[in-house]
Amino acid sequence: MSPGKRTSVPAPSLTYGEGRRRPAGAGRRRGVDLLPYALVTPLALFILGLALVPAAFTIGGAFFRMQPLDPPTRFTGIENFRDLFSDAAVRSTIGNTALYVVIGVTVSTVMAILMAIILQQKFTGRGVLIAVLILPWALPGVVSAIVWSTIWDSNAGLLNSVLTSFHLIDHYQVFLGQSPLVTILAIELVQIWQIAPLSTLLILASLQNIPGELYEAANLDGCSPWATFRRITLPLVRPGITIAMVQAVIVTLNVFDQPYVLNGAASTGASLNMQTYFISFQNLDFGEGYALSLLITAATLVVSFGVLKLVYRPVEF
Amino acid sequence: MKRRKPWFRRFGVLFILLWSLVPIYWAVNASLQTDQQISSKPAHYVPPTPTLANYVSLLGGSGALPDSVRRSSLNIFIECGAATIVTVLLSTLAAYAFARMKFRGRNVLFYSVLATMAFPAYTTLIPLYQILTRFGLVNTYTGIVLVYVSGFLPLATWILYNYMSSLPVAIEEAGQVDGASRMQVLWHVVIPLARPGIVSTAIITFLFAWGQFLFPLVLSSDLSTQPLTVVIAALQGRHVVPFTLLSAAGVLAMAVPAVIAVMLNKHIVSGLLTGSVK
Repeated sequence: MSPGKRTSVPAPSLTYGEGRRRPAGAGRRRGVDLLPYALVTPLALFILGLALVPAAFTIGGAFFRMQPLDPPTRFTGIENFRDLFSDAAVRSTIGNTALYVVIGVTVSTVMAILMAIILQQKFTGRGVLIAVLILPWALPGVVSAIVWSTIWDSNAGLLNSVLTSFHLIDHYQVFLGQSPLVTILAIELVQIWQIAPLSTLLILASLQNIPGELYEAANLDGCSPWATFRRITLPLVRPGITIAMVQAVIVTLNVFDQPYVLNGAASTGASLNMQTYFISFQNLDFGEGYALSLLITAATLVVSFGVLKLVYRPVEF
Repeated sequence: MKRRKPWFRRFGVLFILLWSLVPIYWAVNASLQTDQQISSKPAHYVPPTPTLANYVSLLGGSGALPDSVRRSSLNIFIECGAATIVTVLLSTLAAYAFARMKFRGRNVLFYSVLATMAFPAYTTLIPLYQILTRFGLVNTYTGIVLVYVSGFLPLATWILYNYMSSLPVAIEEAGQVDGASRMQVLWHVVIPLARPGIVSTAIITFLFAWGQFLFPLVLSSDLSTQPLTVVIAALQGRHVVPFTLLSAAGVLAMAVPAVIAVMLNKHIVSGLLTGSVK
């Protein structure tokens, strides 16, 4: 990156600009070709200043006692991590977040596979259906939470009304904030509503790569639809399923908007990122916030990589 | 797969429609009712006497509530618009360099940009807050837009890189043979050819920016910069706002992205898929 930061003096230089293989104009430039550096410098500055440097802050800050209202800042080794693990609130959000991830990744992936199989076929109205499908993806997490709060609500919610009409419950229920499992399920369903469309598109793209002859051959050999699905479709869409699952891992492990809006600070549904927010911006304990951020990031990378190893198989047609 | 039974497809189509639309319908339905109507059990599945009263109290007249809704709507448009323009501009330039030029440090930079996409965005929440505080940029449009741009640049660059790499080089070479400079080639040849990719990138960036919540929650401290999402989430938290009014606020905040998603869905789909190849 360094040679290109300065956009002055194109004069003779020790570095060799790799201007070969550009048929026209190659003769014009002898020294370092500065144009590419000029083009990428803004991007490089943004990535360096607002992604890499902050990331280094997070890694370093995790090992410091850093409380803006109560200086000084000093190195404390792993004390922030020790404090985190001895905090019951943090431990309960670890469990909650694990549930969000397991439910979110499993349900969104299964739903996405089924919806992608529907959309793989040709039928009138397919284009409209895809527009309808991606609608929830396009809405802010906050909005999806408010929209679904009108379904879960204990006084005027759709679910209570429907369940009562079918005599499945005899009086209106409170779904959020009572049992942790029900609360987390209800909240995660809202996030699945938001992420399943992208998973569906990713898997659909993979499905459309599968050559039609394979299905014809399977059909000639008398394979049942289920056998065809198990033996042809599923193995060959693994790349699409992998990307879908990895993006689901990243967003579910970092869930914030939906539990924050639907359930507030209540411990029944609080996620790890909500805890980071409370620690950093309500308790103003940045050091501990950094430590928790670092743990969440590490967990995200490890789980994503695990899913990648487990699910991905290269596919060649 | 070709010979799925029709019931499977009909059921699937019905499921997708209900799954995507029922929650939205229910929020719209609630937003058009009065408080008394919405408390009826069982609920009214269509508004008995549709009323826009909730929207009027959110947007019309003076008072703390309509003032905050109007101001935060303005804020969200400014922040999303600015972030989209800057992101698309910078990512177009960088993607062109990555797709068509060789230079020292190219791979290092390219892979660092891609690597940032594997990290959760919230990794940098606290440091960005501290950095913006240091430069006096907390609670300013500039601060929020800078953070948005840094967050969206990697995906935008990746989508445009893939798009530009798929364009035939021959046309650009013809341009260069005719004596055009590379910037002229970029402006007169590459950008027009890459227009569909640029449009997709702009739409996706705008939608991402519109959906932001935790970053502006932390980075803007009052109505001078708070976007609509932060203001309506605060309504929900207070529990004093009537249910019907809250629904109307939700509908209001979803109107713009919903219209974009429905009208421009082909661009969104192609952009998302260009960003996911390999």
